[in-house]
Amino acid sequence: MIELKPTAQATVSPGVPKLLQENYFVKFTDMWPAELSYVSGKFFKIEKTNQVPYDLSYRLPTNDYRDVDLSNAGGGENIYPENTGTLYEVALGFKPGNYMVHFFIPAGEAVSRLEQASMAPNVASATLRYLGARKPEDSPYDDKRIFMYFVKDIEPLILRVFVDTGIDFEKCVLGLLVNKCRLTQIPTPNAEQTRLAKTLRYYSELRW
Amino acid sequence: MPSLVHTMDASPQVFAAEKRNAKVKPSLIMVDNALGAQDAVIQVIDRFTTDASNGAAAALQTIARLSINVAMMACVSIRDELKDVKCLGQMELTIVTLDINCIVSVGWDHE
Repeated sequence: MIELKPTAQATVSPGVPKLLQENYFVKFTDMWPAELSYVSGKFFKIEKTNQVPYDLSYRLPTNDYRDVDLSNAGGGENIYPENTGTLYEVALGFKPGNYMVHFFIPAGEAVSRLEQASMAPNVASATLRYLGARKPEDSPYDDKRIFMYFVKDIEPLILRVFVDTGIDFEKCVLGLLVNKCRLTQIPTPNAEQTRLAKTLRYYSELRW
Repeated sequence: MPSLVHTMDASPQVFAAEKRNAKVKPSLIMVDNALGAQDAVIQVIDRFTTDASNGAAAALQTIARLSINVAMMACVSIRDELKDVKCLGQMELTIVTLDINCIVSVGWDHE
């Protein structure tokens, strides 16, 4: 449910849209939990889409951070859908600055960590703050490369926005493009539909 | 690129209000002190309120980003020197001694 799309090694013509489009197919793996039974293991066609841009910005002091909850919980930024038949594909990009972002889902569990026990992101550490951190150059505001996929009631995704040392304050601008996708279930997809479908994995599949 | 002219008979003079999703990047500052009564000491001030962070509550900040000393009967224009100057919040200019004959023109972009 979180992807970093690297820069292309080759180009194709005609180009391939970055965002999910009408009549595309998506498949949720069986690892999505039973609480999200409306999508777990199911196959959908995208009936319609609507792209909604939104910017978040925070002015923070050096060597300090703010946890940004993208969910609809109290104090969250309300970027999650409210209907079971809606998928939000959210592209995230950053305006330039001396800051980085760590991803946690649910709170306290880093998305990006290595297998050795101590190799987890830690902004209090002068070295581990760079482990798993996404910097503005990784996903520029005008060329967003981080993609997140939200359905109703998925656990809160936390962005830890950390201002690195070497500056007094920083304005961290996070640009979001929410691609609202209206889903229609296809109970028995054929082989061609299955081949074309984008597979959406649950966040637990990113950690092993 | 917006621009604005102010006489420095008040201080601070606000040139650019904060834009929430962008920084203010001055691209031109011209200080016309040809008719000024004394040397003009001008500062670019960045005024903003931080957001609450893990270690600190929200707080007002005023930070000097640039200082220029323009002699009486002089006119100074700077452009290239501004490329690394950015304001996170509202961009203001101050002068040490108020002077209606000191005229400041500022142009800026948003980044």
